[in-house]
Amino acid sequence: MNPFDYSKAVTDFWTAQGQALMRAQEQAGAALAQGMKAATSGKFPMQPEMPGDLSAGATELANASKSVMELWSAAAAVCGKLATAVPTTAGGDEVVEATFRKIVDPRSWIGGTGELDDVLGRMAEGPRFADLWEAERRYAGVLQAWMNVRRRGLEHNAVVLQAWLQASRRFTEQLAGRSASDTKLDAKTALALWTETANRQLLESQRSEPFLQSQAAMIRATTALRMAQQELVEHFGKQYGFPTRTELDDVHRTVTELRRELRALRREQQMPALVAAQPASSQPLAASAESSASSAGSSGSSAAWSEPSTAPSASSAEPLAAPAAPSKPSARSPKPQPAASKQSSASAEPSRAARPARRPSANNRGTHT
Amino acid sequence: MTQVGTSPAAVLSDAARLGTKMLTGGRLLHEMRDADVQIATTPKDLVWSQDKVSLFHFRPLAEKRVNVPVLICYGLIGRWTMTDLQEDRSLVRNLLNLGLDLYVVDWGNPSRADRYQTLADYILGYLGGCVAEIMKRAGVPKVNLLGVCEGGVFTTAYAALEPERVNTLTLTITPIDFHADTVEDRLGHGFINIWTRSLSPEDVDRLIDANGNLPGEFMGAIFNQMSPMRSLLKYNFDLLEIADDEQRLMNWLRMEKWIADRPDHPGEAAKQWMKDLYQQNKLVQNQWELDGRRVDLGNIRMPVLNVYANDDHIIPPATSRALGPKLGTSDYTELALPGGHIGVFVGGRSQALFAPAVASFAQQHDLTVA
Repeated sequence: MNPFDYSKAVTDFWTAQGQALMRAQEQAGAALAQGMKAATSGKFPMQPEMPGDLSAGATELANASKSVMELWSAAAAVCGKLATAVPTTAGGDEVVEATFRKIVDPRSWIGGTGELDDVLGRMAEGPRFADLWEAERRYAGVLQAWMNVRRRGLEHNAVVLQAWLQASRRFTEQLAGRSASDTKLDAKTALALWTETANRQLLESQRSEPFLQSQAAMIRATTALRMAQQELVEHFGKQYGFPTRTELDDVHRTVTELRRELRALRREQQMPALVAAQPASSQPLAASAESSASSAGSSGSSAAWSEPSTAPSASSAEPLAAPAAPSKPSARSPKPQPAASKQSSASAEPSRAARPARRPSANNRGTHT
Repeated sequence: MTQVGTSPAAVLSDAARLGTKMLTGGRLLHEMRDADVQIATTPKDLVWSQDKVSLFHFRPLAEKRVNVPVLICYGLIGRWTMTDLQEDRSLVRNLLNLGLDLYVVDWGNPSRADRYQTLADYILGYLGGCVAEIMKRAGVPKVNLLGVCEGGVFTTAYAALEPERVNTLTLTITPIDFHADTVEDRLGHGFINIWTRSLSPEDVDRLIDANGNLPGEFMGAIFNQMSPMRSLLKYNFDLLEIADDEQRLMNWLRMEKWIADRPDHPGEAAKQWMKDLYQQNKLVQNQWELDGRRVDLGNIRMPVLNVYANDDHIIPPATSRALGPKLGTSDYTELALPGGHIGVFVGGRSQALFAPAVASFAQQHDLTVA
């Protein structure tokens, strides 16, 4: 496909999709608010106390939708520009080009860093709403919480989109700079440049107050929704005699406390045996470690132990790497390092801060301990 | 627009190379089964268990050179299997080959039924139980502790509260000052510190109360945020890069297997972890309490080896190095390793540095036996 056709198609597609999505959000919010208003106006029997004005929530949802829509249009336009920036000669690396097109697609911008949104969404969207009028107050609470989740999600997406747009602008500027200097750029280099640029921009964004605040607001909203859903489900559970989450939690708390007491009792019982195993005096090295281990009976060992020696043993393995000079504390560091500590640095490479930015290190896999 | 001209021959060559790579990768992936991807394969025996917690004793791979056993204590986020990911990248195997008597504690898979387990339960209860069992089995009055990340905090607290049972304390990529991420303030480093501080204590309570535990997949998403572009490239570009190399593909899949093993963090313990430590930074201030007992780092008078990674984006070095001035011993050694948080365990360069340093440290402070 001609790159310009491609970019135009992508732009049109996402603009249309985005508009349709946002219209649907607005209409859904308004319809739900109207429905609940009708419900509270006396059309349904046994109306309990209802939560606050749902139409206000719908308005906020619509405002959030509008903001995102504006950003979405901008993102779609930028996407079109970026798509044409992909080197498209027949000799280009097709996989790289395909990857590039994929990651400049606004959908991946939302979806790529929106993993937490997805997780939170799954955590919140457990049971489906039930159409039981006697549970209306709780149902409305769930509805209100759901609208708030959508609103907060849109607000957070707007912050994320801003970061992507900024990354796109930076990337475009860098491309323009290379074009001006007549520097040739193949698809792989373009992908690396885009990855580096976007990564840096996203990391900067993640540390910003707007990002942190909107994400925290989203977490609050999703936990509120989950709690509202649990309250609704517990209402039904009680009616039908099912055990509820609260009851199970009570049981689990009791079991945990009993286990705790049991452990303490066991510890008290074992303590005399362990104390008996303590050495009366130090003795020189004798039997092999295996024989000493095997001689340690369940009621304790007859082996005697000396206090640890700070001197290296005769069979000591290699020493630690040669101590390096203590690094100079950062000017921003509130805590100088201890003079008494031994510093052994096995690293010869410069810190990342001193190196040019690059793709995330293979050592930083986004994994954790 | 910047473009590259390429000859038709080069185009055909590139296409052929790509096709071969995809075909080979496809065949390898098709033939592989999950059971083929094995991690934590070093032989070991279950020697003690309580509730969901298991204590394993590794079978020796060399003549024992150190009398006091070493207990590896990982945290509740992730699993210890990272220390034995594959044969040629295994801290466990390296330590065994250097003659250490090695144990590891596995915390199991906490479920919602474990939501009321506290850090005191894990540290004073289960970890304490493991230590007592090792003392009994080996006939020793104290053990060597090797804590990793959150597990390093566990062993630090245990060493401060039960110092008479700890011969040496080795910490690996362990946070002590949870606010020291601001010391270097490197872009992309310390995001969990920043993120946790962006929440209020009430936010943490509600997050845990709503879910019971801190879901493993939730923490996985937070960790993925720390490498935003990787999530976009990991399963397409990165995978294709290695798809036709069976060895590299297997290594990649082993890491994937470890990442996928994300136990939920018990709820009450998670509240303590996030509020007491990440938010209020009580540990380094000697204000943290477990079961009503204050964790005073000054009580740690045994020798301490503190290992950190220079490019650790999860536990910035300054958060680990804050330990030194707080200890009650001058027998304190720091070891800086190249690479990042996971690179300490699987990085090529750290293989030759990490285990020898730990073994040497244990040997230097070993006890003699009669």
